[in-house]
Parts: sequence; structure tokens; C-alpha cells
Amino acid sequence: MAEARISRGKLALTVVAGLALGAGSAVWATRAKGMGGEDYSGWSGSRVTGSPDAGPWLRAQVAFSGLLALQRSQAIYFTARTDSEGQPLREGCRYRITGGAMPGKWWSVTVYAADNYLPVNSDGALSFDATEVKPDAAGNWSALAATRPEPGLAWVSTRNAGQFDMTLRIYQPDRSAQDDFRSIPMPRITRLDCAGAA
Amino acid sequence: MKRGITYALVFMAAVGLGHYASVVAAPRVIMQVALTKMSQGGKRINSFQFGPRTTEKSRGVVRPSPDLAYASCVYDLSQGPVLVSAAPSPDQGYVSISVFDARTDNIAVFDTAQYPQGIRFVLAMDGQDAPQGEQVVRAKFAKGVILDRRLAPTAEQFAVADQARRSNICAPVKS
Repeated sequence: MAEARISRGKLALTVVAGLALGAGSAVWATRAKGMGGEDYSGWSGSRVTGSPDAGPWLRAQVAFSGLLALQRSQAIYFTARTDSEGQPLREGCRYRITGGAMPGKWWSVTVYAADNYLPVNSDGALSFDATEVKPDAAGNWSALAATRPEPGLAWVSTRNAGQFDMTLRIYQPDRSAQDDFRSIPMPRITRLDCAGAA
Repeated sequence: MKRGITYALVFMAAVGLGHYASVVAAPRVIMQVALTKMSQGGKRINSFQFGPRTTEKSRGVVRPSPDLAYASCVYDLSQGPVLVSAAPSPDQGYVSISVFDARTDNIAVFDTAQYPQGIRFVLAMDGQDAPQGEQVVRAKFAKGVILDRRLAPTAEQFAVADQARRSNICAPVKS
């Protein structure tokens, strides 16, 4: 029996469906990965963000989640989506962020909701920065990410953030930090407690 | 049987093509949308626009920093080079001028640590004549955006930065 002929209509439909699935997978993959390439103690970042050296995939990731990011001579960006135990960051929990001296002229930590924008709340605490923490003699500092502040602690509000992430920006980073991201003492995000938990 | 294999192969090839083409096209498409928004539909080209303080309601660009004051100049070099200058902030806070092309690449960046008296350069496409004696940045694409970022984590610092940046220049080079 002769093999049935290929239908042009079905072939066109197959191509359209394939292109759509491919486009969808590209959007999903680039959005899911955020700006990051490599992992540095739970914070993801890339050495070629904003640079002409970036490949097409990283360029697409940056376009989706960090358009107009600076190259590393000017600023280094890291994003954390989980706490120190690998659990996703979420509004219902309180987190302590601890760190040491950052290798740059200025730094900040900002909370972003899942839509890549700032959480919609009027707390006036969308980030904390180098001028707000109180380092001890060794340069170590603590801050709080929660829906409410605590006296004496730098605070970033997570109210209305849902499942969120945090971006660390280090501006005018030291040469050693630019050359070797692993030399940067990345802040640690410790989950303190969660609403409803015993 | 052969027909099924043919459809499957065509489908897989289309998935791969769709994926790669989308990855390559996404930055330009997203940048074009951003340029259109920042230039108010193409009405504000080759001039600085000064953004308000970033708040929880800011939706111009993804992941804005609430600690910086942003100003932008959407450029179009198709008619010739553009002169760019930016004054430092009086409190000596962080100021940078960064140039992004249509493909989202950060093709040049200057800061007031390097240029404490202010930043000044001419942005020109490859092959365009630029004025003698000026620092020149070369772009592969005619369109893109120049961003002025100034450290301004408080309302008071934002007011100081805002006043300083009002003397910025982004304008076609006079022939």
C-alpha cells in the first residue's frame, strides 16, 4: 500500500506548533534563570552581565530580568532566591541576613517580587544599604528581611512580596572582586521563623 | 510510519528554531519597547529625561534600584553624533553615565570617580566624523539609551542629585 502523502496543512500546523513551543520554552528558560550564570554561596551572578562578551542566552536573561544592567567594572549584581537551607524566600517567613565588609565603594540589598518589580507596600524600606547596617569591630553586620521591622536592625520589607528574591548590588567593586567573584564574602540568609510554624 | 517520523522531525526542528530565534530576538524587542517607553513614544530623542524617585509603584524598567536617581537619554545617531555631558553631584556621591546599544550591550560607562569634574564625550557610529579633541564612544547601532545613575537613597539626597543632573547635556553635535 502506498504511503499517504504529507498534508501541507498539517505540516504548516506542525511548524507553527513547534515554533510556538520553542518560543515559549525560550521565554520560560530565560525568565526562570534570572540574571544569573554561576552560583556563589546561594547568590547567582554573571561576570559578563551587560558586557558585549555576553552570549545570546545570557543577553536574553538580562533583557528579561535586568535590562540596562551595568558591566562589572561599575557594578556587580547577585540574586538570591533561596535561604541558606535552599528553601524559596517567601513573605510568610522572617530572615536574618548577615555579612562582612563588602569589596566596593557602596552596596545595597533590595527585595523584588516575582514579577521583577519592587513589592507594593508603603513601608519605605525597599532595600537596606551600606550606610544602614551597623558593623561590629570585625566588620560583620546583620539585617532583617520581614514584613515588620525590629529595633536596632537594618530592615528591608517583604510585605506584599509573595515569593521573592533579593538582589545584592556592589558599586565600584574592588579589582579583586571584579576578577574573582569567589573572593566576595557573600551575605548569608538565615530563615528565623515562618507564620503558622510551630 | 514514515509520515509520522517526518512530522516529528519537522516539529523538533521548529521547536529548536523557535527557541533560538526567540533568544536572539528577545533583547532587541525588549529594548525597543523600553526605548519607546523612555522616549515617550519617540517624542523625546537626544535629550535627557529625568525620572522621579523610584518607589514601589515604579514600572518603567524591571528591577529598579530604589537607592538611585535615574535619568535617561534615548539616542538616535542616524542624523549624526550626539554630545553627552554630566555634572558631578555636589556631595561627591556615586554618579555614572552608561551607554547601552539596541542589543542591550553596555558599550561604555564613565563615573565621577574617574572624572570628578564631570563626564563629557561624543557618541558616534562607526564611520561618522566626530569633533576633534573630544572623547569619542563608537556605537554599532544607531539607537540605544544613555543612563545617568546617581546615588540617592533618601529624599534629601534625591533632591540634591536631581538638581545636579539638570545641567546634563544630551544633544546632537552642532556642525
